[in-house]
Amino acid sequence: MQPESRPSLVDRLRELRQTRFGAFVPVLLALAVIWTYFGLAVPIWEYWTNPDAESLRFIFLSPRNIYNLFMQSAVIATLAVGITVVLLLGDIDLSAAATAGVCAALLGVLVLQGVPAWLACLVVMVVGVFMGAAQGLLVAYVGIPSFVVTLAGLLGYQGLMQKILPTGNLNIGDPFVRSIARVLIPDLWGLVLAALLVLLLIAALLRRQTLRRAMGLELDTQIVVWGQVVFFAALVFGAVITMNSYRSLPLMILLLVALTALVGWVTTSTPFGRSIFAVGGNAESARRVGMNVRRIRVACFGIVGLMAAIGGIFGASRFGSVSYTAFAGGSLLLESIGAAVIGGTSLFGGRGSVWNAILGALVIGSLGNGLDLSGASAADKLMFSGAILLLAVAIDALSRPPTGSVR
Amino acid sequence: MGNSTPPPHLRVSRIHKRFGGVQALTNVDFEVARGEVMALVGDNGAGKSTLMKILAGAYTADEGQFWMDDRQVTVNSPNDAADLGIQIVYQDLALCENLDVSANLSLGAEPVRPGWGFVPRMLRPIDELAMEVKAKKATDQLEVRTLKSVRAKVGGLSGGQRQAIAIARAVGAESSVVLLDEPTAALGVAQTGQVLDVVKRLRDTNHAVVYISHNLREIFKIADRICVLRHGNNVATWNIADVSADEIVVAMTRGLDEGSDFAA
Repeated sequence: MQPESRPSLVDRLRELRQTRFGAFVPVLLALAVIWTYFGLAVPIWEYWTNPDAESLRFIFLSPRNIYNLFMQSAVIATLAVGITVVLLLGDIDLSAAATAGVCAALLGVLVLQGVPAWLACLVVMVVGVFMGAAQGLLVAYVGIPSFVVTLAGLLGYQGLMQKILPTGNLNIGDPFVRSIARVLIPDLWGLVLAALLVLLLIAALLRRQTLRRAMGLELDTQIVVWGQVVFFAALVFGAVITMNSYRSLPLMILLLVALTALVGWVTTSTPFGRSIFAVGGNAESARRVGMNVRRIRVACFGIVGLMAAIGGIFGASRFGSVSYTAFAGGSLLLESIGAAVIGGTSLFGGRGSVWNAILGALVIGSLGNGLDLSGASAADKLMFSGAILLLAVAIDALSRPPTGSVR
Repeated sequence: MGNSTPPPHLRVSRIHKRFGGVQALTNVDFEVARGEVMALVGDNGAGKSTLMKILAGAYTADEGQFWMDDRQVTVNSPNDAADLGIQIVYQDLALCENLDVSANLSLGAEPVRPGWGFVPRMLRPIDELAMEVKAKKATDQLEVRTLKSVRAKVGGLSGGQRQAIAIARAVGAESSVVLLDEPTAALGVAQTGQVLDVVKRLRDTNHAVVYISHNLREIFKIADRICVLRHGNNVATWNIADVSADEIVVAMTRGLDEGSDFAA
């Protein structure tokens, strides 16, 4: 370490903020505020103001509630991951929840008809891809703004779901479908998995550092490397231990994380992903370097369709039923878009990450869960969610680079 | 005049281009050699940009021939031009501000890691380190001043740095001819100096540079030759040492009465 240029703690934190994990900081702060409020402030306030209370009861922060929170947020998160991909393009998908509804309804009907559940899941995933890509074709090749196309898609798919489910409700008892939400990873395996992930990250970071040294590239400072490790370990172990202390890590959460890792890897580490960011940042630039902007658009809408279908399967598994209000007709759409935006993905395209969408979904889920626990009405919940969404979008608009060309 | 200059690397002759009823270029000749900066000037509507876009393959000439090192070639698309090593830097630069310098320099041609042949190229992992090495080489070669790191986002760079990055991208694409469309139009004095340094570096690395500008002082600083267009016609091509600013202005605005010497 050179004595003449010792960076201050603030400099080092700033460096850390520039890393992949640095982008998590605002949404984690939001999460911390919400958890502190509902988890600590509300119970203490109630204890003080209510002379009959016998003891402090931390319901919100109980492992049981946190476990439920993760499960409640999983469907939102799955959709939000898909929506993030189209937001990165600078487009939007208003039909994701309706797509999820159509896919879940189709799954229910297929299973009822005696189609093997695994096959039915595959079928609805393919259907989801087509439902998304069809809208992508209209956006890319006909040139209709995605807002309008997917608004039409929202209405059309809502209608389609009602056609598939004339009663508006269908129970799904199929053991394969139910198992996605019911199967738990044994406690020990969960911990082993978490440890493996952390070791994998360490190995990847150290290998990168060695290669960078060999190629004469600038090195990350120690604090950046180990800061990322500590941060990641705290997140992973924190989540696994909390869920273990109530039940265990559910398979559905594991699947969600694996899917997010896959989509995250594709968007950040492949030429295809780079092209998504390029189109979102400057579509003209992407076109001039020879990228096929139209095909990229269609592919991204296909991805959001796929994630919506998977969200539909997750939802059907968790609720054990498919209902119109739980998907197409309810608040799922705005919660998913809200999750993506609260996670820090820009509505203007080119900035964001699918991992942040998961944290954004936790924020939305926590808000709903906390308000439920404090006995807030549905009206209060809607107004609170609206205010939070507005706040997130305002921060996004303000944090746009001021020199950017206005389109 | 012009006989002492090196043999042209890129040469076009008898270029005609018409847009509807407007004759944009008539019988225009143009050439540029390796290791020289050829300025292209003219009043608004003189046909500079049209000629530039024809050279870059963005427009196709109605008539005329292309020669690279005395070999006749055809350029009907930007890809044709790129294959011949002709790269253009547009005024708007077309950089992605949300990506870092190295990502911008490799945009659309990201190096991928070997051993992933079983997946489509678009889904193979990008070799970020190779990309950074390439970016460092490109920016070092042009001695882009004040650029701290190739991992800096382009959105945080100054106008001069951005122009330099856009030029570096053109150079990085294995180009031998670089076309610059008013690269300093939006820049202040210090930034302009930085860009002119980069242009000189291009010439020193044996590139053929075509430089459109309205600023004659800049042209006198860096150009070796100057080609004047007026109403879509050649007016003159001079060695910069043989001409004064006044003569250039007269040629641009009124043409030369004794211009028959200069017409091709």
